[in-house]
This record gives sequence, C-alpha cells and structure tokens, in this order.
Amino acid sequence: MLRKLALGGIRSRFRDYAVLFSGLVIGSAVFYMFLSLATNKAFLTANTMVGMTSFIFGFGEVLLVIITTVYIVYANSFLMSMRQRDYAMFMMLGAKSRKIAQLIFIETVTVGVLAAVVGIALGMGLTGVAGHVLMAQLHAPATHFSVVWPPAIMWTFVFFLLMFVVGALINAHNLLKTPLLDLLHAATTPNRLKTKKWVLGLQAVLAVVLLAIGYWAMSQLAKLVLAGIAIALVTIVLGSYFLFNALLVWLIGLLKKNKRFAAKGLHTFTLSQLSFRIRDYTRILAVVSILFALALGAITVGLGFEHDIPDLASKQNAYDTVVVDPNAATMAKARQLTGVKAQINYHLKQDAKHVYFNASELDRDPVLVVQFARGPVKFTKLTAANFAQKSGDYDSQLGQFLPAKAQGKQLAVLTASQFAALTSPVQTAHTWRLKDFTANYDQLSALNKAIVAQYGKESTAVYGQKFTYYDMINGAFSGMAFMGFFLGIAFLAMLASTLMFKILSGASYDQSRYLMLQKIGVRPGLLRKSVRQEIGALFFFPGLLGVIHVLFGLKMFVGLLQEPYGHLLLPFGLFIVLYAVYYLLTVWLYERIVIQKDIATD
Amino acid sequence: MAEQPVVSVKDVTKTYGKRGEKQYQALKGITFDVQPGEFVGIMGASGSGKTTLLNILSTLDRPTSGSVAINGQDVTALRGNQLSDFRAKRVGFIFQDFNLLENLTARENIALPMALQNVKSAQQQTAVTQIAQKLGIDAVLDHYPTELSGGQKQRVAAARALVQQPAILFGDEPTGALDSQSARELLNTMAQLNDQQHVSILLVTHDPFSASYAKRILFIKDGQIGQELVHGDKTQEQFYQEILTTLGTFQQ
Ligand SMILES: Nc1ncnc2c1ncn2[C@@H]1O[C@H](COP(=O)(O)OP(=O)(O)OP(=O)(O)O)[C@@H](O)[C@H]1O
Ligand SMILES: [Mg+2]
Repeated sequence: MLRKLALGGIRSRFRDYAVLFSGLVIGSAVFYMFLSLATNKAFLTANTMVGMTSFIFGFGEVLLVIITTVYIVYANSFLMSMRQRDYAMFMMLGAKSRKIAQLIFIETVTVGVLAAVVGIALGMGLTGVAGHVLMAQLHAPATHFSVVWPPAIMWTFVFFLLMFVVGALINAHNLLKTPLLDLLHAATTPNRLKTKKWVLGLQAVLAVVLLAIGYWAMSQLAKLVLAGIAIALVTIVLGSYFLFNALLVWLIGLLKKNKRFAAKGLHTFTLSQLSFRIRDYTRILAVVSILFALALGAITVGLGFEHDIPDLASKQNAYDTVVVDPNAATMAKARQLTGVKAQINYHLKQDAKHVYFNASELDRDPVLVVQFARGPVKFTKLTAANFAQKSGDYDSQLGQFLPAKAQGKQLAVLTASQFAALTSPVQTAHTWRLKDFTANYDQLSALNKAIVAQYGKESTAVYGQKFTYYDMINGAFSGMAFMGFFLGIAFLAMLASTLMFKILSGASYDQSRYLMLQKIGVRPGLLRKSVRQEIGALFFFPGLLGVIHVLFGLKMFVGLLQEPYGHLLLPFGLFIVLYAVYYLLTVWLYERIVIQKDIATD
Repeated sequence: MAEQPVVSVKDVTKTYGKRGEKQYQALKGITFDVQPGEFVGIMGASGSGKTTLLNILSTLDRPTSGSVAINGQDVTALRGNQLSDFRAKRVGFIFQDFNLLENLTARENIALPMALQNVKSAQQQTAVTQIAQKLGIDAVLDHYPTELSGGQKQRVAAARALVQQPAILFGDEPTGALDSQSARELLNTMAQLNDQQHVSILLVTHDPFSASYAKRILFIKDGQIGQELVHGDKTQEQFYQEILTTLGTFQQ
C-alpha cells in the first residue's frame, strides 16, 4: 500500500520529477567525469606538470563536493516541497508518523540511487565523447585516459548514496516536527523583505573587501601558493554571496521605488517575483558565479595553453621547415605543404671549417631569425653585412642550415665572386614559411618522418626543425589544455543545470500565478517578456560576476602562460554563446510549464 | 427601443471530450440576456454546468456552438491579444479561491490591470484609493494577501475586477470560501455597487442566501435553463423563501 502511494506520488507529478531527476543525473554525471580524471593517478602524472596537478585537483575536488552537496540539498528540499502537502494529507487521514518517515526514506533514497546510476552511465558517455573529441583536436595522446574507471564509479555512487540517506533522514525529521497546518499551507507563506538598510550597507562593504582580498590573493599566488588558493576560495565565495544579497536587494528596491518604471505593464510583478525569491536565490547565484568563473577560467586557460603551443614553437624558429639537399622522398613530402607564404632556397658551399652562404643571395633574401623576447614574435634579418656580427647569437636556429656531415662547422658569408671561386660542390638549403603551421600538422609530421629517415634521428637537421619543438611543447602543454577544456565543460554543465534546475523547480509554484494573470487579461506576449526578463536577470548577474572573477583569476597564470590575457575573445565568446543557449532553453522550458496554451486563446 | 444587453447568450452548447473519445455535453442550448445595471444570479445543483457557462461568458473557454456577445461584441470571434485586452478592459471576475497574486501587495494587485494598459502611475494611485474606499479596504492596501482575512481578500479581488470599470462583473461562488459575516459584507458591497454605480453583475452560486441579493435568478438543470425567478417588489426575506421553495421542487 505504502509503496503504491509513493509511486503514485511520483507519477502524478511526473514533470516536476523529470526536472529534478535530470538535474541530479547531470550532477552525478559531472561528478563522475571529474573523478574519472582526479582519481586516475597514472593519467595525471603522464599528462601534466606534476607540481601543479595535485593541488589543482585537490582544489577541484573540494569545490565539487561543496557544490554537489549544495545541489543535493536543493534537490532534497525541492523533493520535499513537492511532497509535503501529500504527506500532510496522509497524516490527516491517519497515517502513522513512522510509516510516513519510511515513505520519505524510500522515495528520497530511490531518487538518489537512480540518479547516481543513470548519471554514472551518462558520465561515462560524456567522458568518452569529450575525451576523444579533445584528444583529436589537441593532438594529445592522453595516455592512461580511461572512460570506465572503477574508483570513480565507486566514489560517485557512495557519495550520492550517503548524501541521500542523510538527506532522507533530515527530511523525515523536519517533516515530522513541522505542524500539520504549516505543511498544508507551505506554498503561501509570506516573505516580506525586511532587511535593514545598515545591514545591506555592511554586506556591500564586506563584499567589496572580501572580493578585494580574494583577487589580491590570486595575484600573489607565486608567494602564497596553497594558502593563496584557500584564501581566495573562502573570500570569493563569501564575497559573491554578500554582493548578491546587498546589490540585488538594493537594485530591486530602487527599481520598485521608481514609480514611473514600476507602474508600467508587468514590471511590478516581475520585480516582486525576483524580490520574493532573492533570499532563496542569493546562495545559488553565488555558487553559479563561482562555477561560471571556474568553467570559463578553465576553458580560457586550456585555450591559452593550446595557443601557447604554436606560439612557443614559432619563437624557436622563423622557418616552418628547412631541409638541406632533400632526397626525392623528402621533397615529395615537402611539396604537399599547403598555404606556403614563402619558399626560398639558399646555395651553400663548404670548406674544411666553414659552411658559406652567398652574399648576393643573403642581400636579396636575408635569413630570418627570431629574437629572444617575451611578447609577439619579432624577426632579425641576417644579411651579408651583419651576419658575422649577429649569427653567433642564433646558433640554435641556424643549425638546420648545416648540411649532413658538416656538423661542428661555422656558418659564414662569402661575396658572390668568392663564392663562385670556391671549388666545392653546391648544396641547396630549402626553406618554407607557411601561413598556418597547425593546419599543416599532418603534412609536417609526414615530412619530419622523411627527414628522420634521410638524416637519422640525432642530426641537427631534425633537432632544429620547428616541428620537433612543437611536438615537445605539445607533449608538455596539451595535457593541461585537455584538462582545462574537460573541466570547463564539466563545470559548465553543472553550473547551467544548477541554475536551470533551481529556476524550473520554482515553476510549479508559479503556474497558478501566471494562469491568474492570463485570466485577468495579460497578453501572452507580455507574460513571455516578463519570464525572459526575470530569468535573464538570474542568468546575467552571476555571469557578469563570473567574468570579473575570471579576469582577476587569470593573474594566477601569468608565470605559466605566455599571455594569459592575450586570447580572451574566443573562449569568452564561445562560453557566452553556450551560456545563452542554456538561458534560452530555460526560458523555453519555463514558459512551457507556466504559460497555459489552452485558455481559449488558441 | 430597449438598450443593448450587456450580455447576450444564444443557443450555447458545450461538449467536453474530443471526437472519438468519451464525450459529455455539459451545456445543451442556453439562451438569455443580461440588461445593463442588472444583478443576475445563476443557481443549480453541483455538476449542472454553472462554472462551464461562466467560463464561456468570461472568455476563458469557448462554446461548442452558439454565440456570446458582451456589449454587442461577439467574444467567440476574439483571438490572441484582442482576447487578452478584452479580458483586461471589458470584464471583471471574482473567483471562489480569491486568485490574488500573493507576491504583490493589495495595492499592487488592484493596480495591475491599469499598469497593463500603461495608465499613468499617479492616475493608478487615485483610482486604487477610490475603489478601496468604496469597498472598505483602504486600511489594508499595503498588506500582502497572506496578511488579509478571507473577506478582505475577496474584496481586494473585487476591487481589482472593478478598477477598470468593466461592462460586467462575473462572480463564480465568490462567497464560497467565506464565513457568513464576510460573505454578507461582500454581498452588501456588490448590491451597493449595483444600486449606486449601476455595475452589471452575474453571480453564480449554490447558496440561496447569496442568490437572494440578485434581481433575477436563472436555474440551470442538466445544462439547460429550467426556471426563472424575479425579485420584483418582494422583500429579500420573501425572495429568499421563494428561492428555497423553488430549489426544493426544482431539484426533484
Ligand atoms: N474539463 C472538463 N472535461 C470534461 N468534463 C467536464 C470538464 N469540466 C466540467 N465537466 C463536466 O461538466 C459538468 C458541469 O461542470 P461544471 O463545473 O460546470 O459544474 P458546476 O455547475 O459548476 O458544479 P459545482 O456547483 O459543483 O461547481 C460536470 O458534469 C463536469 O463533470
Ligand atoms: Mg462550479
């Protein structure tokens, strides 16, 4: 009988449960995704710079546990809010409290376990897809990457089970302690905004001070190390919370006081909707702004590392490839390069100690070398006039002009007539500069194999190649880039579903309100606008704060990345588009729940 | 020539359930008029079709056949925004379960229909104050609905329905959730509005006492109008007795 009641409850509120359930599934999927990396020590050591890894992941784990806990607490209170009227009804009909407690326990734990199981399955799918797409994109081998990772399965399951058992006990306890009458009228309790002015002021000041400390701590990460992370975590979380509390309450009050604005259309209603929820929402908005910052930060840093790979490689060498006297096989590969910006050949002759350029060729096409400096790539042109003076500084870059078996000889320049007079066989150095190095990755890789075959692995010809550097840097950085993207996507999924879930969970309460508005003659278009504005505000503010967090947080990567602030457009743009998609999805789902199609409007 | 009726209902039928599914005809051809300034009651047993009829009159539902005109305008032809605007300006409702927005104060609730029409804020405030005084709720204007008594809530709902001076006020058992004292207050207010401001009222009710405030009562049985009573010169007590007797015979 009891089981029938419990299942009946689920069936009758299927849509609400669907929202709840999908939110939890995403929560556990992300939890699994993260753990599948975090608990895979072999993967971490193989793909990251060791020192960083443990604390990035330690930090991430703490955060994820906090966030998932908040999420589950919300889920549980949502579950209760849906069911408490039914429970109260059963109690009124004479059900024993012990039975009710049992009922709650069964329901809550069932939802939790199901969500964990489905979530882990989805998490494996997401891990697989995200992992393979990223690996292919980044040329990252990502060794030891594993989609099905038993420790992650176990921990996710244990964590969810534990949280829901505790949640169920708390729910049952609360329900049995609340008076029946309050349960029956739970949805209509008044909620006046009574925060005092000075409290708001204090919160605002506190918010600014805390955020300033947090931002400062992030900029001093080199000195503070782990303490810096801890300080930043605590102060920024609290600061965001106070900021939302103070700022939004103040902003809504201000708009409501502006009679000309408030008295128009549905403005009063929209503002009241927001202000009635604000206390309920500040916590989640603070969490969302942090998640937003983490997700965007991770993607930005990931992209920064990804950007640094060709950047760093182009700082090693001005030419995309240089080959002296290529054989037919090598030349065939070289011909496949696409988007060639410049292809220049230099003739070389040797004597006992030197390898000579022809001065007239150098004056026509100076040899390019890259200056050693931070910031954008700058070239030095080596001509006949300055070659002797400057070439010494660029041995590593010029090494690839040395023909085979000429290693150890000095590069020098002869005038055209001297060059002609020297009796030794002419050799030809072929140089290529390409429009896009990474677009030619596959061709260059094939070319490099041919060069290795022609010259042997240990030759300067191979060492000097840009491709060789690229591969070396790629090996070191792509693991970082991979993790950045992976975590970014995971955090984004979590963030958006947290917010979406929170907003949609309020929708069932709002249904009657919107129906009422429709009945008294509010145009459906106007209702939709109100929904868009209300949800828009809830998406916009944490997003904005999140962007600010990231802008300060990037300071942490000043030492690690070439230009942490150099390539913001792509990650920010991409992220904002994804975020906007989530916003539109939430609006659409919300409208479907609250706006009735069939009250004679067709 | 008689004035144009505020409400004119002709051969309205309503069948629930789609074709091919189980169908149920809730209204089987209803015809009547409400003249300007009239106070008409509609009575009938539970399930006789009162709410169905009122929903159709107030444009919340469409008839399966027949026509409904309010102030001469055929409301069954309205669509989309026209329909919303019609609801906002031409008709007022009071429902059994208050239907106030509990996140707005009484004042904001009452002003809402005007805000929707972009009436100036100052004008909104004077209109709210006026109607609130008439209905005796000016002291509680800044309370939220949860801070009001049932009777006060219902009067706030009435104020909101009347603030735009609609052609007609519809009530579906507005006293249903009130104690007898609050019910009496609300009914007196409605009768007064009808007498002094000539507001046309159509009141659906179960309760003979509420019905005795009306000038004319239509009895519905099984989706049809079965009988009509007119208040005329009778006292309210006499009319009440007459309603009771009619109900006794009518329900058999
Ligand atoms: N949406 C619907 N679908 C199918 N049948 C309906 C629907 N709404 C009402 N009915 C049926 O139509 C008939 C009339 O219902 P209505 O709500 O109009 O009754 P009523 O006179 O208002 O009753 P009460 O006094 O109990 O409120 C009833 O038999 C009811 O079962
Ligand atoms: Mg009814």
